[in-house]
Amino acid sequence: MRVPMQWMKQYTEIPVSAEAFQDAMIMHGTGVEGLEDQNEALQNVVVGKILSVRKHENSDHMVICSVDVGEEEPIQIVCGAPNAAEGILVPVAKAGAVLPGGIKIKKGKLRGVESNGMCCSGPEINVPEYLYPSVGDKGLLVFNEDYAPGSDVRPILGVDDTIVDFEILANRPDCLSVWGVSREAAATLGTKFNKPEIKVDTVPGKMSDFVTIDVQDTDLCPRYCARVVKNIKIGPSPMWMRKALNAAGVRAINNIVDITNYVMLETGHPMHAFDLSKVKDQHIIVRRAYEGEKIVTLDGKERDLNTDMLMIADQTNATGIAGVMGGEESEITEESKTVMFEIASFDRASIRQTTRTLGLRTEASGRFERGVCAATCREAADRACQLVNLLGCGEVIEDVYDCYPNPKPQTVVTASVKRINARIGMNIPGEEMARILTSLHMQVTLEGDTLTVIAPEYREDIEVEEDLSEEVLRIYGYEHISSTLLRGETAPGTRNPRMLLSDKVSEILTGKGLYQIYNFSFISPKLIEKLGLDANDARHNTVKVTNPLGEDTSVMRTTLVPSVLGTVSLNQNRNNETAMLYEIATVFQPVDGKTSELPHEQPMLCIGAYGPKVDFYLVRDWVLDMLERFGVSCEIVPGAQPYHHPGRAAKLLVGDTCLATVAELHPSVMNAFEITKRTVIAEVDLELLGELRCKMGHVHSLPKFPAVTRDIALVMDETMTVGAVLASIRKAGGALLEKAEMFDIYRGAQLGEGKKSVAFSLAFRTADRTLSDDDVNPLMKKILTACEQDCAATLRL
Amino acid sequence: MQEQLRRIQEEAAAQLAAITDKSGLDALKLKLLGKKGDLTLLRRSMGQLPAEERPKAGQMINEVVVAITAQIEEMDAKLKKIEQEKKLAREAIDVTEPRAHTPIGGVHPIALVQDQMLKVFTSMGFDVVEGPEVELDLYNFELMNIPKNHPARDAQDTFYIDENIVLRTHTSPVQARTMLTRKPPIRIVCPGRVYRADEVDATHSPVFHQMEGLVIDKDVTMADLKGTLDAFARTLFGDDMTTRFRPSFFPFTEPSAEVDLTCVNCHGKGCRVCKGTGWIEVLGAGMVNPKVLEMCGIDSKEYSGFAFGVGLERIAMLRYGITDMRALFEGDVRFLSQFRDD
Repeated sequence: MRVPMQWMKQYTEIPVSAEAFQDAMIMHGTGVEGLEDQNEALQNVVVGKILSVRKHENSDHMVICSVDVGEEEPIQIVCGAPNAAEGILVPVAKAGAVLPGGIKIKKGKLRGVESNGMCCSGPEINVPEYLYPSVGDKGLLVFNEDYAPGSDVRPILGVDDTIVDFEILANRPDCLSVWGVSREAAATLGTKFNKPEIKVDTVPGKMSDFVTIDVQDTDLCPRYCARVVKNIKIGPSPMWMRKALNAAGVRAINNIVDITNYVMLETGHPMHAFDLSKVKDQHIIVRRAYEGEKIVTLDGKERDLNTDMLMIADQTNATGIAGVMGGEESEITEESKTVMFEIASFDRASIRQTTRTLGLRTEASGRFERGVCAATCREAADRACQLVNLLGCGEVIEDVYDCYPNPKPQTVVTASVKRINARIGMNIPGEEMARILTSLHMQVTLEGDTLTVIAPEYREDIEVEEDLSEEVLRIYGYEHISSTLLRGETAPGTRNPRMLLSDKVSEILTGKGLYQIYNFSFISPKLIEKLGLDANDARHNTVKVTNPLGEDTSVMRTTLVPSVLGTVSLNQNRNNETAMLYEIATVFQPVDGKTSELPHEQPMLCIGAYGPKVDFYLVRDWVLDMLERFGVSCEIVPGAQPYHHPGRAAKLLVGDTCLATVAELHPSVMNAFEITKRTVIAEVDLELLGELRCKMGHVHSLPKFPAVTRDIALVMDETMTVGAVLASIRKAGGALLEKAEMFDIYRGAQLGEGKKSVAFSLAFRTADRTLSDDDVNPLMKKILTACEQDCAATLRL
Repeated sequence: MQEQLRRIQEEAAAQLAAITDKSGLDALKLKLLGKKGDLTLLRRSMGQLPAEERPKAGQMINEVVVAITAQIEEMDAKLKKIEQEKKLAREAIDVTEPRAHTPIGGVHPIALVQDQMLKVFTSMGFDVVEGPEVELDLYNFELMNIPKNHPARDAQDTFYIDENIVLRTHTSPVQARTMLTRKPPIRIVCPGRVYRADEVDATHSPVFHQMEGLVIDKDVTMADLKGTLDAFARTLFGDDMTTRFRPSFFPFTEPSAEVDLTCVNCHGKGCRVCKGTGWIEVLGAGMVNPKVLEMCGIDSKEYSGFAFGVGLERIAMLRYGITDMRALFEGDVRFLSQFRDD
């Protein structure tokens, strides 16, 4: 919110620099986004009198002016404006001036003729026509009064102020006004807020002679206040008002409209002015919209209304949406003669609902949404009428319409000085607290430890003691808060089991050379489709965002695979030779397909890796090593998801439950994700891993007796898995078989087509003696028999 | 005899000096001390001497044998050393020669700052608590004193799943869940993923990470809050760090504060990063609003507490000089490989 410094200074002394003011306001609770010093913009721009104009020989539209800028000698300026004429006073940017937009004025030559400055139009010096009416866009701004050449143009044109851009907190709608921030400034700086005395000169008359008003829904309109002004003389408002509005970022239009805007900025009350001659039957009804009712708003759009919306209406039609947008037909025009000012308070929630439903926001609706105080409506109405008096632009009717059936009772807050100090960790005396609260216009009594406080009606945020603690602290100064350490038990805190688990997963995988990635939790449902899952796969059943930023972020992930493949693809596209990545995140599964319940959130690990040294086995062993570190061993069985290479995919089973999958990516899924290099992915259910992980037990003492080792080579079908053969060996080997490992695979012509020879190294040992051939030979025989029976694997001779 | 001994000794000395390898040394040893070596023969020839001279002669020979043996052993050690040095020289490798290897990977920068922050807070007695990301409106808003039609609930800020289910906009619902289930004293931090309907740009992301802290106990003050955050700032960014509290407003705290940190770039002198102020805004904090305590079943007359919330992306960006938030969610290994725990 832009507030001109000079406007605030009408009501509060500000005896410090703008920068110091900014700092003080920030540190005491009123945010400031920045300062704009208008004076900085137009340095070296002065009033110049054009003494003579002669033709430029090398141009048919430029002229050469001799301009008196208050210096000893006139200066020569080449000018292209059509209205350059002898005797007029114009703004002249001298050499060294910097115009808005950063244009630097330098001495130079224009088409061969020396030019020592620039004669300016309004737009060139950021002075709009409504602020200083001159010639419109037809050329140089021409001063309409006599000023001495060389005078500073800024005070003349009304651009010599400093504007403070306030950032008002959500709980302080009362500060969305010049009076509001001036009150805060006074409390902050220890000065006094001088509100103008509001007196209205009126002429006799009854409201009912001009308008009748019927507020039917007082729940949505707690107060409706109206005053009538007759014999209006529409015209421009005075320079001081135009200047204030311009500095605040509001266009000046005419005196009546400017008064409504001026009062809104000054008091925080949105106002609406009706041309009563255009109000049907001079009857205004404030009511809820009818079911199915429609309205065409000022922007020309037809809008569907509902019964939660409040309307300003005549006997037959809604003419405006209360607090949001007025009706076109009753707008103030040059011809308006009798005007009604409406200053009302509308229900915040209702206005918010209405603007959201209609997608229509205005300055007024923004203020009503944040809260406009009902108690001060009448004061704002009177302030507007006082300005009518001041501008002499009409006669204010004595009678006032004011429908305020349920005035809000004053809130009385009692507080304990001791408790406030305990909360803020300070020791501020009760008298000082009382002084601070009084400076915020609260009525305060202090008895012993008890503060009894009545807040001004516009401070609707003050409800309980804690609210007062903040008021005291912020004016006293947050910089006085000391720094103490927490007392009480000091046992170190702990991480929760899920985080401990993912920390460990990270530790292991980063040790293997993987990098962790973070992806968005929502994705496009199309990405899930790209995995080629069965139609009834649960992963199609997603939790959907009802108001996503776009289709690509519209459903919560049911699998991490698409996101990880996206990252893999990005790395391949950027020519990164190797990427070994993992993501730990939650996937979301609707419970029983319902949207009305919280979904199941399951922590998952997904690995995606490619590179010259990456293959299925590398990734599988990462996962197995990791599981090993959690004390979980599993059975590897072939098995593919639809997005897996069907011949290079494994499931890691614990019992019958699948804990993890590892696979090379299916070529068609590679295509779908624009992946060109063979990529291996793995998924691990971290929720299940959390349940399966087990604590380490006691160690085995080292063996005292040597092992007996035997190597065997078994010939088997190519399709037989080494895992199955090893399982047979282990089962048959029993307790004495300490270790069984594969160490070689051989394929060759003499084995025959579709056969392979796999070599295993076996070690037998027992704890209490050295094993003999008599112990081992029968076991070897048993093992070979088992391999032959279970796996059709025969000893290679 | 004496003359013979002297000659043998002299010759031995000269020959020893000329020896360059082990075989020469072995030959010399044989020539002097072997079965038919000069000294062995000399010792044998002692029998021809008169009996009274023999002990003295034996002693003389022994002395020479001991001396020469020592010299030979010394030479032997020297030769072995030379031999070893030669071997080591032959085995020298180019230690700068690069070899293919897999470097250690790394956790994500957000995880890195989260871990560093958790270390600070767990050491101060805070337990880590996590909660659901898809959350009931009740926990995300209502219990945080953000009733219906509060500006923060506008569709433009919050992603909705259902009328009553949202993607949590902060990790505060974890605080609510904790207060409803644990009795004070409570000292927790809640890290996690949060969601706001912001378009992606260099400083915004619809998915980001927060860590919130909550302390509830008897006699907790705003000064305790400042002390806690000061300690956090020092541990994460260095001993010269401090915090500055500015008044602010959050529905769930009263009083509320925006917390600035000494600019990590210029250490408070004023620079481009802090727009010349010497401070950067990193946190929101305050004393827990008694309405929140009461709604979560905690007696606000008996207990007070503070809460704070910090954005992890912001901390990571400041800590590591990251200028575009998008890099954090992109997963380019060239970016990720630059981070390490310190």
